[in-house]
Amino acid sequence: MTGLPQLIQEDIQCLDDALGELLERSEATAALIIDKGGPLICQRGDLERYDTTTISALAAGSFCATQAIAERCGEINFSTIYQQGDHTSLLLRNIDENLLLIVLFRAALSVGAIKFYGDVTVDRVATQIQKAQQRAPGETVDLVSLNVVDASEVFRKGS
Amino acid sequence: MAIINQATKELQVKIVYYGPGKGGKTTNLEQVHANVKDVQEKGKLVSLATSSDRTLFFDFLPIEAMAIKGFKTKFQLYTVPGQVIYNTTRQLVLRGVDGIVFVADSQYEKMSENVESFQNLEENLISQKLNIAHIPYVLQYNKRDLPNVAPVEYMEFLLNNREVQVPSFTSVAAKCEGVFETLNMITRLLLNKFINESARKSA
Repeated sequence: MTGLPQLIQEDIQCLDDALGELLERSEATAALIIDKGGPLICQRGDLERYDTTTISALAAGSFCATQAIAERCGEINFSTIYQQGDHTSLLLRNIDENLLLIVLFRAALSVGAIKFYGDVTVDRVATQIQKAQQRAPGETVDLVSLNVVDASEVFRKGS
Repeated sequence: MAIINQATKELQVKIVYYGPGKGGKTTNLEQVHANVKDVQEKGKLVSLATSSDRTLFFDFLPIEAMAIKGFKTKFQLYTVPGQVIYNTTRQLVLRGVDGIVFVADSQYEKMSENVESFQNLEENLISQKLNIAHIPYVLQYNKRDLPNVAPVEYMEFLLNNREVQVPSFTSVAAKCEGVFETLNMITRLLLNKFINESARKSA
């Protein structure tokens, strides 16, 4: 399992553009790129309506759990979860070893169109992540000069 | 490993509370959620639990705190279900873990469960190509207010008997005693690890 590579401005811009294009073409409400461990990497759309941090954590867990079920049923090419809602639906799509795409959209929209445009986004994002991996394999950001606060005081208990 | 987004100056870390069933992992998160002050942002505590209040999938608490000046530092706190049957779920929740708080139950009769759970943690990390020796973790000996608790020295012998000992804390999570000390220590270990790794690479 290789980790997510260090993302620079160019990568984030590309991911952001890919999500913007997806929303424009598909008329979806919001789109997110998340790490399979739960953290949110990038998001676009009508974000005020959703708690995207929590959705990311739950979606990552849900995807990995459903993938584990699929594997136990002999399905090795599991890639998508579709949650059909009355008002808002959600599509979860595998991007690569580390990332997932989440698309939130009005239930009235065609899921076929969301999948179609979602696949274009997945390819674009996966290509950019590969570029990031090739740019600096195994490299992380230099935190040496960062100004860390007193760790005994990061979380304080209220009275 | 932690997600570091240089473009948005953001650091995201994942801390997992691990340990035997009914040991107090969820209580730790509930106390942090109820009592933490002066953080930049505190999310909702999400619990996926059974009708009998046992954690089914995980509990999740996102908190944004000032840990590194100039960097938005997002902490994501998770618990795992402690019961033996939920091992696949524990493996899923451990994915991408940066730091671990092992919550042990101090009651004498729970010692074998503590040891089993710790061994299970080591096995599950190995299944993800991770080694406990390379991941920051702290031990918390919980429920110290109960009458039948084992001495701390005995728990240290069982759970912290290694070449390099890790920090350990006694606690009564239900009264919020020892909860913040534990969380701040794992935070400190995590930040030190990031900085040391960076220093090694740039050397």
